[in-house]
Amino acid sequence: MIEVEQAGARPDLEAVGEPAPAVPEGPPPSGTRGRPPSRLFGIRTEIPVGWRIGFGVVGVAGLLGLWLWSAGDGSALIPTPGSSWSAFTEMVGDGTFQTDLWASLQRVAIGYSISMAIGIVAGIAIGTFASVESFFEPLIGFLRYIPAPALLPLFLLLLGIGESPKIWLIVVGTAFYNVIMTADVARNVPREMIDASYTLGAGRGRILRRVILPHSIPGIIDVARINLAAAWSMLVVAEILGAQAGLAYQINLAQRFRAVDVMFALLFVFGLIGLCSDVILRQVRNRVAPWARP
Amino acid sequence: MSTTTGPAAIAALRASTPKLVVDDVTKVFAGRKTTVTALEHVDLHVADGELVCLLGASGCGKSTLLSIIGGLEAATSGTVTVDGDLVVGPGADRGMVFQAYSLFPWKTVAQNIAFGLETARWSKARREERVAELLGIMSLTNFADALPKELSGGMRQRVAIARALAPEPDMLLLDEPFGALDAETKRHMQDFLLSLWRRTGTTILMVTHDIEEAVYLSQRIYVLAARPGRVAAEIDIPFGSTRGPNTKRDPRFLDLRDELADLLAT
Ligand SMILES: Nc1ncnc2c1ncn2[C@@H]1O[C@H](COP(=O)(O)OP(=O)(O)OP(=O)(O)O)[C@@H](O)[C@H]1O
Ligand SMILES: [Mg+2]
Repeated sequence: MIEVEQAGARPDLEAVGEPAPAVPEGPPPSGTRGRPPSRLFGIRTEIPVGWRIGFGVVGVAGLLGLWLWSAGDGSALIPTPGSSWSAFTEMVGDGTFQTDLWASLQRVAIGYSISMAIGIVAGIAIGTFASVESFFEPLIGFLRYIPAPALLPLFLLLLGIGESPKIWLIVVGTAFYNVIMTADVARNVPREMIDASYTLGAGRGRILRRVILPHSIPGIIDVARINLAAAWSMLVVAEILGAQAGLAYQINLAQRFRAVDVMFALLFVFGLIGLCSDVILRQVRNRVAPWARP
Repeated sequence: MSTTTGPAAIAALRASTPKLVVDDVTKVFAGRKTTVTALEHVDLHVADGELVCLLGASGCGKSTLLSIIGGLEAATSGTVTVDGDLVVGPGADRGMVFQAYSLFPWKTVAQNIAFGLETARWSKARREERVAELLGIMSLTNFADALPKELSGGMRQRVAIARALAPEPDMLLLDEPFGALDAETKRHMQDFLLSLWRRTGTTILMVTHDIEEAVYLSQRIYVLAARPGRVAAEIDIPFGSTRGPNTKRDPRFLDLRDELADLLAT
């Protein structure tokens, strides 16, 4: 017989006896003790939803206001939101925007996928095996301080002027971060979890596939989310230094015609793409690893 | 004489030797500046089906000793044998339960329990049967599909025990499994462990620094002393199958408790 009760089901504690004697009424409080908590600036304290949304709206409205104010009546260098919007619709109308967007998205998607693949494989190996770590540590420590854009001329010489130098710039410019951060994610698998797996008969391959990898997945998605911004920066460098299409190529071109409205429209697009990818990757993370949801 | 070296003699010797033998184990952690002798000349044994506690103050090497028996760490010198086999690494024959943080958070309770069965390549049908059986034993049937984060501390430790028990190990090694629990849950879990042990007859070696827990649960206690970690005393506990809630009021229980408290204080 097992006489263990389910946690939480403890009838013995719910027994009702006589009602508790009322607390004797004393004199009214003579003062206060302690500091009352701050409502809006409590350290690591939630704030009411209304305030949360409110602050966000204020921030966005502030930026918009600043833009409107500095654009003035449209005679200044800064374009008005309205002229940026018409520049945008014009680009969409003649199809250049779609071509540029597709060109840029494709480069980032291919380059960053390769970079993430390197990050996952090398990162997990480095975070798991001290031997692999010792092999890569000095190498990466040195290589990652070479600014990736400085390699572009070399890539152009080696790979020609097609898509591949741009893609490889994105790979080189982000892979080190992905590797280093993924290695940290893999290192965060608790020792006890690995030890427990060993004592359950699992071998190293099984522990890698069934314990270290699944435990690392939410962390890896976060790494991907954070370093994606660097991929776009590399894309901009590559497109400014030589491309026939692309969002940053278009921004660069706009400078020649002093088409600031085009620049603003495209900067806005960059921000929007980043925001969307961030939201999507967060969703993916929560969907794939509901157990890691805070 | 041939009879002392023949296979029959060896088999007879095996049968009479304890399940687990720790022979003259020393463990030294050599750091850059200091070396810590965590264990020095530790000898102990656990018989088949016995429940033994390792009792000692914090830092006296209990976890280190358990890790060495589990094969997770190598001894600096000395040997560990299980049924006459030298322990050279971890294996499913020695199930381990850790103080905390060892459940797979992405797996449900049932999947956690099934992990060792999958590595042992049990068929799906047998796996399901075994998991259902353990869920029943652990009173966790209603939580089969819950994630570890949805469970209380006591339930999590029950899952950890069930997971270790699932592949039918020769022995269970428990490292302060109830250390993080509140007094009430801890008491429940102790009774639970006792009934589990009676039911399954598994050999259990459990680490604790809780004197009452050790006296209440074990048939024998090894008291470890610190710096360097060594066996300071070996104490037989007289309560047989009479162990129960009243045991804690038995005068012998109180005497043993005080005696052990004195031993630990020195
Ligand atoms: N990896 C390690 N490197 C260096 N020293 C260690 C290591 N692991 C343990 N020690 C040392 O060995 C000694 C015993 O540690 P151990 O964890 O086995 O103690 P314990 O009895 O389990 O303590 P507790 O009750 O606090 O868990 C300690 O002095 C500790 O500092
Ligand atoms: Mg310990």
